[in-house]
Amino acid sequence: MSDNNKIPEVDIVVDEAAGVIREIKPEKLRSKKGHERRVNTSIYVILILMSIIWLAPFVFLVFQSFRSYLTESGAMVNYLLPKQWSLDNYVWLLTDPSSDFLRWYGNTVIIALFCAVLQTIMVLSVSYTLSRMRFKGRKLIMNLVLVLGLFPGFLTMITLYFLLRQLNLTQSGAIPGLILIYVASSGMGYYISKGFFDTIPKSLDESARIDGATRAQVFRMIIMPLAKPIVIYTILMAFMAPWGDYVFASYVAFGSKPSYNVAVGLYQWVNVNDYQGYFTRFCAGGVLVAVPITLLFLALQKYYVEGVTGGAVKG
Amino acid sequence: MTDLEYFKLSKPERMIRGIGRFFLNLPKKLAGGIKKLGLLIVSLFKGIGTNIADLFTTFKNGDWKTRLSYLVMGFGSCARGQWGRGILFFLFQTVFNLYMFFPNAQFSGCYYLGKLSTLGTVATYKEGRKTVYGDNSFFILLYGVLTLFFIIAFIYTWRMNIKQNKVSEELLKNGHKLKTTKDDVNSLMDSQFHKTMLALPVLGVTIFTILPILFMILVAFTNFDATHQPPGKLFTWVGWDNFRQLLATDTTSYGSTFRHVLLWTLIWAFFATFLNYFLGMLVAIMINKKGIKLKKMWRTILVMTIAIPQFVSLLYVSKMFAADGLINTYLMKWGWISAPLPFWTDPTWARITIIVINVWIGIPYLMLIATGILMNIPADLYESARIDGANAFQMYRKITLPYMLFVTGPYLLTSFTGNINNFNVIFLLSGGKPLSLELAGNAGHTDLLITWLYKMTVNDTNYKLAAVIGILVFIVSAVINLVVYNMIPSIKNEEDFQ
Amino acid sequence: MKKILAIVLTVAMMLSLVSFASADGIDIKIWVAENVVDFTVEQVEAFKAANPDFADINVVVEPVGEGDAASKMITDVESGADIFGFAQDQLARLVQAGAIEEVEEENAKVVEAENDAGSVGAVKLGDVMYAYPMTSDNGYFLYYDKSVVTDPSDLDKILADCEAAGKSFYMEINSGWYQTAFFFGAGCELTFDTDSEGALVKMNSSYASEAGVKALKSMIKLAKSPAFMNGSSLSTATNVGAIVDGTWDSGAAKDLFGDNYAAAKLPVCDGYQLGGFGGFKMLGIKPQTDDDKLAACDALAAFLTSEEVQLARYNAVGWGPSNLKAQQSDAVQADVALAALGAQLAYTIPQGQYPGEYWGLATGLGDDILAKKYDDADDAALLEILKGFEATCEGYLAK
Repeated sequence: MSDNNKIPEVDIVVDEAAGVIREIKPEKLRSKKGHERRVNTSIYVILILMSIIWLAPFVFLVFQSFRSYLTESGAMVNYLLPKQWSLDNYVWLLTDPSSDFLRWYGNTVIIALFCAVLQTIMVLSVSYTLSRMRFKGRKLIMNLVLVLGLFPGFLTMITLYFLLRQLNLTQSGAIPGLILIYVASSGMGYYISKGFFDTIPKSLDESARIDGATRAQVFRMIIMPLAKPIVIYTILMAFMAPWGDYVFASYVAFGSKPSYNVAVGLYQWVNVNDYQGYFTRFCAGGVLVAVPITLLFLALQKYYVEGVTGGAVKG
Repeated sequence: MTDLEYFKLSKPERMIRGIGRFFLNLPKKLAGGIKKLGLLIVSLFKGIGTNIADLFTTFKNGDWKTRLSYLVMGFGSCARGQWGRGILFFLFQTVFNLYMFFPNAQFSGCYYLGKLSTLGTVATYKEGRKTVYGDNSFFILLYGVLTLFFIIAFIYTWRMNIKQNKVSEELLKNGHKLKTTKDDVNSLMDSQFHKTMLALPVLGVTIFTILPILFMILVAFTNFDATHQPPGKLFTWVGWDNFRQLLATDTTSYGSTFRHVLLWTLIWAFFATFLNYFLGMLVAIMINKKGIKLKKMWRTILVMTIAIPQFVSLLYVSKMFAADGLINTYLMKWGWISAPLPFWTDPTWARITIIVINVWIGIPYLMLIATGILMNIPADLYESARIDGANAFQMYRKITLPYMLFVTGPYLLTSFTGNINNFNVIFLLSGGKPLSLELAGNAGHTDLLITWLYKMTVNDTNYKLAAVIGILVFIVSAVINLVVYNMIPSIKNEEDFQ
Repeated sequence: MKKILAIVLTVAMMLSLVSFASADGIDIKIWVAENVVDFTVEQVEAFKAANPDFADINVVVEPVGEGDAASKMITDVESGADIFGFAQDQLARLVQAGAIEEVEEENAKVVEAENDAGSVGAVKLGDVMYAYPMTSDNGYFLYYDKSVVTDPSDLDKILADCEAAGKSFYMEINSGWYQTAFFFGAGCELTFDTDSEGALVKMNSSYASEAGVKALKSMIKLAKSPAFMNGSSLSTATNVGAIVDGTWDSGAAKDLFGDNYAAAKLPVCDGYQLGGFGGFKMLGIKPQTDDDKLAACDALAAFLTSEEVQLARYNAVGWGPSNLKAQQSDAVQADVALAALGAQLAYTIPQGQYPGEYWGLATGLGDDILAKKYDDADDAALLEILKGFEATCEGYLAK
């Protein structure tokens, strides 16, 4: 055997004693294989740790949602697993007449559905037009949207509130009011969709128009079927957004409990002093909100990734 | 310095030169920018000038149909057979007149315009025990601005009306046919398709974004706060007072608080963006590495956290870190600490905790993006590097990192700007606390400019200061965007040198 | 495109300018805390039965927490409730924003005669009465676990007991409300005088003194104790041995401590009795533009804060009445929490008006203590801090 210390330059040596030509794995390669395995193991360890850390809060949330507010404490306690597993919280949320949870859930679903449809229409209209057509004022619009986007969103809360009030769309009319606000300015979020449309070759448009189709027909019959990923992405994003809006929803719907969305209702249970012992019910509510959304998201994950990475790559 | 000499320099020296060059160029670029702005304004005035001149010539040279259109919009179009356009113009004029000169003076455009300069003078008074409300400054300002918008729209439309008359006259003179109403409607689906598609979005954005922003900018110059609340009280213009208060250079109250909050906002945005970016990239590389199994599973576990609404996860996590929350309780139970850790009560601890929790939120998202981009890097680049004897770290530095930075440069910029306005994370986690004697206006040590703005609006109803803060946030974001956007090409140039 | 824009814009404007006329009858909206909504609805029916003149008013009761009610009223008076419940610290703000109407003269005389002095003082600004007092139980005292705390009269003993049992003593020292227990107890004063418009015109403060330093040192010492936890809400407190809290949490305290439920006045700390604020809740009426509606609101508010209704409210949800006769009733006298509150009341001053910024300032002071900023400060440094505190408070006076 050759020296184990020297790293051989070649893969084969001639073993004169045995009279054969043998292939010897150089030390470098052999230690590299071990090195590689060590690296992989440490990566696995890190990934497992990360998975635990990432999922832990949700697992805890689920645990605490099974701690009954009737038999044990509904407030915060300093232990994790309930002494008795019970469905009291869920039962209360879904059936008790003093719980408006189902109402809030329904409100949020309605808002989310309307937003999903209307916002997608708005966004696609804008991004298609800006991508495909050249007209006077196009650059102006794009720059204007960029500039407007730099203003913080809450700046205009009070103005929007009074605008809605003039139209009687606050408090008990909060749901149409919120939908109006969300949808009205949604055209400004055209950037990712436009990037997607830019990748569809213009030659498709040209050949269709030569055949006599109007732009509207081109849009409907040729581009839209190709745009399925971005359409689904836009719908998904528009659907998920209203579930988390606490700030604006609470501002517009104050005083009218049946018009809250889930975010406002659940937030109050945790942070407002009038509601003692509602913490576990908050956890249960949180689980009921999070599970369907997560499932929906996982089902459509492919489109989300396409939209996000497509947009990022385009810059 | 010649190109050869430049190549002889080492990387750090090149970078220093690059930065030096950037700052030296800055005044030149600023001057260039201002010159461009000046030219823009000049061209605007010139445009107005030409338009006015054109108005006169059209009147002089036009036939009776055109001249009558100066008074009655749409007359010319109708007279020449373009009924659709004509009627639309006329309708618009009628509605405009109705609005401006509405019989009930209280609601007419002229009423609001008149009061705009004083924002209301009639105070609320009591008749016996009944309250009789006087002027409402808020609505005077709001509708005043709306009226101004409307007037501008009217002038523009009237001008279009005249121009169309002129064009139609020319066409007819030269023997061409005019577009019929049917042609107009059809073109909406074709050559004018952009108008059809953009009508609603533009309308929505104008009423619900541009108008409110303009309104709030104007509010920044008034004294609209808790002691000047309509409908009971009036507020009025105060000029630059609010700006002076917030930008005061002395070390007391609002001025110093503003600087304090601004500094933290920038620090936070920096860490939130770049920490998430590099860690996300690292995680993506780890998962992507050859030899790691169950790639999809790892990615899915992490990505699930994006789906869960932030208000659920953040609210819960903030309670977890409370002084008597789960984490402190268990750490104490296991004897690792003897007193609860001051996650939310000590300013520095609070800031670090927020940054760390934000990493928890942000990594899945960044990992997705990084994975998508990593998959696009051609594998043979790595192969040839490995054959040349590069180790993993060198490959990362010379291939992965530059490529990622190149592709996601603009994304980093938008992410940074977005983090300056990242309301949810701060508000739900710490509410901007802890407060301190040094910070005025209820600002806390973890407050961003935008959470401070929110507190001003909702809790203090101090709208004038909130408006000023909003404007300053805009200026900060705009400056950063402008500066960085011009730096990105220089990164691109480095690529070529590579 | 611009044409379409401008036209639709106008149409929207026109629609909005048409004011939606109110219905034929009188519509009254009431805001009260969530747990008294049902009670209030019942009482409104009783009111309508007892007053046939007002039989055809439409009353809507909505749950809006007292903490939020004032802010929402100020944000938008016209959409706010006609009658709303709030705590007395919001009164000056409401008056300044023009969101609350004076109490009708005849009613004011009745209120003054029938309610305890503290609550009457709390509803007045200068000489003008602005609200109808409803409860006198918004002050704070000590709830404790009988099995853990043996002697609730001394703070150090309480802390020692809690520490021995592995439980915590809760007090919210970073709240301007609870903080005053130390300062007032040690002998300091911090009050503001207002004029009838609600503007603050004078500050009376003796925080920057030896007594103030003493109080500050007590708080710093408390914050250092291992059994101390900052907070005042049972809902988010874990492992409670004793807590400084108010009657709104009496239900939660009973649930938590079970048979070991007990309450007492605040303990003695470093040789002085902890004092603090007495608090009051009240009903306000928003400014009305219609005389008939105003008359209806006056009558309804007066009814909802009358002796019978206050007593009924105590029986329903446990809110300690401000009405003198109701306070003498057997049921109220037997209530553990109210007895403790009554005992503590002797050491408190009714909470007057404070500038809105004061609360943030006091929280800042408390947060600094919690952040261990003053742990090693000497008396001179603490005095400087209090001087700064006073100076800032002075700056809050109306210019």
